This record gives sequence, C-alpha cells and structure tokens, in this order.
Amino acid sequence: MSEVLVETSRELPLVNLTVAERTGAIEDPPGKEGLSRLVARLMRRTAAGLTPFEIDVRIDQLGAALGSEVTHSVASFQGTTITRSLDAFVDLLADVLARPALSEPELQKLVRESVGEIIESRDNDRALARRWFSRRMFQGHPYGRSLAGTIPTLRSITRDDVVLHHRRTCVAGNLVVAFAGDIDRERAEAVAARLTSGLAPGTPGTDRTPEPAAPDGRRLVVVDKPERTQTQILIGGTGTHPRDADHVALAVANTIFGGTFTARLTREVRSKRGWSYGAYSSLPYDRRRQAFSLWTFPKAADAAPCIRLELELLGTLCKHGVTKRELDFAKRYLVRSHAFAIDTAQKRCALLLEANLYDLPEGYHEQWLERVQSVTLEQANQAVRARISPENLLVTVVGTEAEIGSAVRDAIDGLAGTEVIAFDAD
Amino acid sequence: MAASASTLALRRERMLAQLNAKAPPGGRVRHRGTVPFGAVLQIQRYELTNGLRILVCEDHVAPVAAYHTWYRVGSRHERVGKTGLAHLFEHLMFNETEQLKAGDFDRKLEEAGAESNAGTWLDWTHYNVAIPKDRLPLVIRLEAERMAHLVLRDPQVKSEKEVVANERRYRVDDDVEGAVSEVLWSSAFREHAYRWPTIGWMPDIEGFTTEDCQEFYRTYYAPNNATLVVTGDVDERALLTRIAAAYGPLESSLLPVEDVRPEPPQVEERQVELEKPTVSEKIAIGYHGPALGDADHTALSALCEVLFGGRASRLHRRLVQELEIATDVRVSVGPFQDPGLVEIYASARDEHTAEALRDAIDAELDRVVSEPVSVEEIDRARARSELGLLAGLETVDGKASTIGFYETVLGRPAAAFDRLEAAALLGPGDLLRAARRYFRRSSRTLVMVRPQKSPASTDPREAAE
Repeated sequence: MSEVLVETSRELPLVNLTVAERTGAIEDPPGKEGLSRLVARLMRRTAAGLTPFEIDVRIDQLGAALGSEVTHSVASFQGTTITRSLDAFVDLLADVLARPALSEPELQKLVRESVGEIIESRDNDRALARRWFSRRMFQGHPYGRSLAGTIPTLRSITRDDVVLHHRRTCVAGNLVVAFAGDIDRERAEAVAARLTSGLAPGTPGTDRTPEPAAPDGRRLVVVDKPERTQTQILIGGTGTHPRDADHVALAVANTIFGGTFTARLTREVRSKRGWSYGAYSSLPYDRRRQAFSLWTFPKAADAAPCIRLELELLGTLCKHGVTKRELDFAKRYLVRSHAFAIDTAQKRCALLLEANLYDLPEGYHEQWLERVQSVTLEQANQAVRARISPENLLVTVVGTEAEIGSAVRDAIDGLAGTEVIAFDAD
Repeated sequence: MAASASTLALRRERMLAQLNAKAPPGGRVRHRGTVPFGAVLQIQRYELTNGLRILVCEDHVAPVAAYHTWYRVGSRHERVGKTGLAHLFEHLMFNETEQLKAGDFDRKLEEAGAESNAGTWLDWTHYNVAIPKDRLPLVIRLEAERMAHLVLRDPQVKSEKEVVANERRYRVDDDVEGAVSEVLWSSAFREHAYRWPTIGWMPDIEGFTTEDCQEFYRTYYAPNNATLVVTGDVDERALLTRIAAAYGPLESSLLPVEDVRPEPPQVEERQVELEKPTVSEKIAIGYHGPALGDADHTALSALCEVLFGGRASRLHRRLVQELEIATDVRVSVGPFQDPGLVEIYASARDEHTAEALRDAIDAELDRVVSEPVSVEEIDRARARSELGLLAGLETVDGKASTIGFYETVLGRPAAAFDRLEAAALLGPGDLLRAARRYFRRSSRTLVMVRPQKSPASTDPREAAE
C-alpha cells in the first residue's frame, strides 16, 4: 500500500501531484549509470502503448504538465493539472506507471537523445563544475555516479535492463503519492488507489548506501575548457544529515557563513571586492550526508586570489567560530523567513515528501523553528569544528588551465594532489 | 453576508477622506478604480498627488505579503556610450542611503525574514520584496528611503561595476546562448534602443562614473515614474496610511521626453557568422514581431505555442524527435512596449549543421504561412497558456509580478486574464494572418554559430563514438 500525503488549498483550480519511488539512481547497476533516469523518461513516453506524440497531445489538451526527476535516492513523476481534468490526468498517469510499453525503438531514440543532451551540457560551465565536483568528492561512493549516465553506459542499456528495473522499483509498496492544491484527503486517497491499482504490491526499497568518506587532504580538479573569461569554483567537504545531533547548529552556522546575501562569504567576495556575481555556501543532504560546498564564479584573473580568500575564510570560521551577534541575526532570519517555506500548499507538501523520502527524524520540519531558536553559540561553533575540515577539501575549477592553472595551484597551501580533466572528457 | 459594491465604495471614500486629512500635500490618495483579477481577487488602484501609483491586491491565504516597485525606466532609456546604466543602477540601489550604511538595506530585510531581488530589462526596472506580513512597515520605509535618498560614492560604484562585469561574463561572454542573443538583437535593430543589451557593452560598464549614476537617479527614480504593487495578507487602510506618510513628501521629477527612434522596416535578410567554444552548431533567428499591446501579439503567441510549445509542438516533433537533428528548439515572443523580436533558438545534435536546422525550421514556418493550423492545436495552445498563468499565481510574489509587469508595459494590471480571454476567441484565420504578417524572410536576422576548433578539446563527435 502506497503512502498518501495531502495539503489542500482551494485558492486556485490546480492540483499538483507527485508519485515518488523510494529508489533512485543508486540502484543503477555498475556500468549502467543513467538507467533510472532513462526508465522514468521512457515510462512517460510509452504509456499504454500510445505513441509519445499521443501522450503529449493528451496532456496538453487537459491543461496539464507531467515530468520526471531522478536523484540518487528517489525517482518521481511530478504533474500539475487544472482541476477539471484531474480524472483524465490520473487515468493517463496510471498507464504511465503500470502499463508503459518500454518499446525498443523508443528506448534507442531516447538513448540517442540523452547522448545529445550530455554533449550539449558541456556548454554549461556551472553544470560541468557540479558534475566533476560530485564525481571526485564522492569517488567510489554511489553519490559520485552520474545521474544522467555517461555515453558508454547509456549505450550499454538494453530493454531487458529497463523492464527489470521498472518491475523491481515501480511497485505500490515502494511509492509515496503526494497531492497539493484543489483536492481533499478523501479524493486524494481514491486517486492514489487508482494510480497504484495496476501495480504489483511489492515492498519499499532498502537503502544500504554507506556514509561517504571525507576528502583526504586538499585536492584540486581543474576542468580545462578553452577561452574562459570566467571560472566556476566549487570548494567543499563532507556535510551533514538531519540525523546528526549537531545538524541544526551547523545549518545555522552555514547561514552565517554563506547562506544569505549579507553572509560572510558574499560580503567578502562580492560586496567588498566585486569578485563574483554570486557567492554562497550550501549544506544539502540526501539519505546520507552530502557535501558542504562554497560556490563562486570570479573572472579568470581573480580565480586564484578568490580561492585563497575562501580558504582563509573557512580557516577563520573553524578557528574562531561565529559570534553571538551573528548567531542571533541568523536565527532571526531563519525563523522569520520560514514563512516562505510554508506559504503555499505545494511547498508544505514538498516538506512532507522530503521528510518521508529522505528518512528525516520524526517531526524534523515541525520542530525546525524550535530547534533553530535553541541553538547556542557553543553548539554552533562546536558543529563547525566537528564537521568542517579546511585541511580536507576538494577544490574544483572550470577554467582554462593554461591561463589559470599555475596560479590556482599556488593559491592552495598544502595541496596534496591535482588533476586536470578536459571539459569533454566523458 | 458580503457588503455590496456601493457599501464598499462608500467605506473607501470615508477611509480616504480621513487619511487625506492628515496627509502631506504630495501624499493625498485618490482611488482610481477597481480591476477584477481572476475569478476571486480584485486590484484596487490608487494614486498619490505626487504621481506615485499604487496597486493593492488583498489575498489572505498566508500571512505574507509581496511589495514590488516598478520603475518605468529600462535599457531603452539609455544612450550610446552609456549602455547598461539602468542595470548598474539597479545594483547600486542596494547600497548606502542617508539613513542606512552600506549593507544595511539587505541586512534589515534579511533580519525581518524577507526575500528580496531585482531585475532590469528593456522597458523597466523592478524591485521585489516578499516579507512576513507583520514586517511590511519596514519595507515601506526602506523602499521610500532608497527611492529618494540614495547616497552614491565612488568605492561602491567601482565595486558594483566589477560585479556587473562579472555578471556579464557569466551571462554573455562565457555563455553561448547569451552571446548569440546579444549578437542577434544588435544585428536585427539598427536604430531602436533595443539594439543594445540591457547588461550593457563591457567598455560602457567599465567607463561609468559616479556622476553618470547620480544624474540617472535624479532623472528616473521619482514617485511619478513608479508603481507600487502590494499583494497578500494586507490591511488596505494601514497600508495606504503608511505609504502616504513615507512617499508623500517625495517630489516628482520632470521626466525627459524619450528620444524614441522607431526601427525602420527591415527589407532584406541579415546573417551573421559566429565562432564560439561550443560543442555543436547552433542557430538563432529573429523575426521582427509586434509590441505586447498590438492586436496580433496574442495570435502570434498562440501560433508560437503551436509551433514550439512543448514536446507535442510542430518544431519539437520535427527537429528533436523525427529528424533528430536538434537537442533543443525554443522561441520567445518579445513582451515589450515597442515591437521586439520573435527569437528562435536551436542547438544541433551531433554532426548536423546550422543550415540543416534553418531548413527544417523554414519548412515548418512555410507550412503555417501557406495553410491554417488546426482548431485542435489552437485549443491545446490555449490550455497550456491557461496552466502557465494559473501556476504563476500560486505565490504572493507571482501575483505581484504578473500585476506589475502588465501595469508597467500596458497600463492594464489584469491583462494576463484579458489575454487568456482573447486567446479563447482565436481561430485559424487569426494565426494564419499573424504568420503571414511576421514570418517574412526579408525581415529576419540569422546568427549561425560554429564550434571553434581548439587543440585542448576533442571533437565531441569523436568522443561520442
């Protein structure tokens, strides 16, 4: 039986619907990276033996939209429909889930399309930085594997792989169905039952992913791309998870360091020096700890001094911590801005889904404000010292090696290793 | 039982009389009308005696409010040699004022839990704040303060120039699509101010002085050149009282007559070749299109939805799915005060060329010029537009942006719904007329993008093998 989450709002005649599998790209067999994503997209295109065009026309006619998203831990279909079309939309989505044809010609077409998208994505410097940061940060760990796959892995995927994956993961017991908008619980549960009625019962997937290891020393990856006037820089190490006792304290410290426009990082990099249009630090999580990271994009000539500055700022943070004044400010910001995490049914529903899919501690979102308010200065600084290690970091730079490589290496004291990768290496 | 319209009007009259009894001369409030916004909500139009327009849309679903300020100045108001000034100024508006030290504006808003941003485009500059409703008085005070009392100093101007230069590198110099769009517009327009990019040319950005910024501020940042849009959980009386007190003392500006240079008709096709460090060939095509307020804008938008909107659209099917020569193809129909461009962009897949993309696009455009599209396709386009409109109205920010945009460009804050109604009346003949009027090869500009060969990189086509 699938779990059903509902947030009702009659403000607009819209229903947002998410059907999420509790299994994602970490289920892709080695050498078949990209399988989960391929399966989700192929399901969307081959429901009930209809052609992709017929499906797309039907969705458009209803005044609806349907897409899929695959992360390391979750594969989901996200739809929006005008309320009057809900029943017809549900019928179609039920076919997508339970009766996709997963035909060979469509699979091959999708593989070709996906290969084209991978090649095209090399034009996006920020995506390149993110891709190589993840791969090297989580080398040997499932989180380092590519969600979209690589060209060789995509081409190795067969229809048998696809069918097996679908049968294994798209089962009622492995699904969470969430509704936000113009629908009440009674109708939502009836819709969820219709959506999953054609599926095998199954059981929820089990996530055996280990915690990722921290980087060993300071390492540099330069993604070499010609003619770059600007660089994309990601610096980071292992992060946190809501299960960690010091998670909220670290989240507050991250807000102080780089979580807002007036945080230390933005102030120093952008406001004082004008080096980067944006400068932020982030602390995402998955079912396990993800990476804490800083993101900046200075012009090529400023890349090395910017990296040096960021490393200094991290060092200062770990050595001296945050101040009481900063802590009080960050807490006021987090508490008051929480109004915008819950001001629409869709956002409230997203929090419910996150708690469910990512195994958050019970009451995580409900108790968030209380826990933020109770963070002390000692706790924040202790969390920083425990979780952030300036001596064990990965620095990833997208830029032109010939122009910036040497200066960037010189900017990283104690650099233990460097790798230069051509931007189109995969 | 809900009060009748006449009762509400009477209450409003009394409210304004009481308010105006204590208001400064420039801050007396006049009610200018009520505009329905969708099926349930309403926009109340007000104006101060100093010319400030105020649009209020009460919506009590969540305890938050959006406070947007739309200035009727954009890059079209600049001149050659000083391009990018409107956008640079947008950055400077977050700096020091007579009452606030540098950085205090953002700090105070963050401390109040606000989300704040801004944007500049061809026709306008827009500042948006979303805030918990009990902190709205702070926003009113800060926005009035920076409208009239900004302090511009050399160090801040210098620093923001560098930030903007970095933004330009991010959005244009190192971004293929951004660079291509810039070349397209500067080639398609020769007279009109739409020919230069909103972010400005790099030498102009680098050359700005503090005096340039001060002059721009004095000229364009005034109550008679601005519209406030407030949506959310607000009390109209309290809101207007505070706005009148904060903005009433501000003086209007004598706005210059815009040096408008209408673009002469383009009579022959233009083509530009561009080499970029990119993985595949690309094409951008710009057809001169209608202004947002032109009668045919709705028909052309519907036609472009049929041609490019989503996977079931003609161009996506043909180029991406059937011929498999493109990874992506999309369009934007310029939503501007003056006629802009219908801008088509496509990225080739594998070894396919920009010419192949052009020929396939031309074949589909020739079809819609020679034969009408089907009623079924028009219905689908309308359904997509309806979904898009509704989805954009979920947040207070979304409502304020929609209202403010249409008020600023068309003078009609609920025009988004008017357009939807107009789209419901469209027939195949309307789209055929729009196609024949605008898809003329003699009035288009093409930018053909070729990958630059570099010894550092492998040929993506070889890497794909």
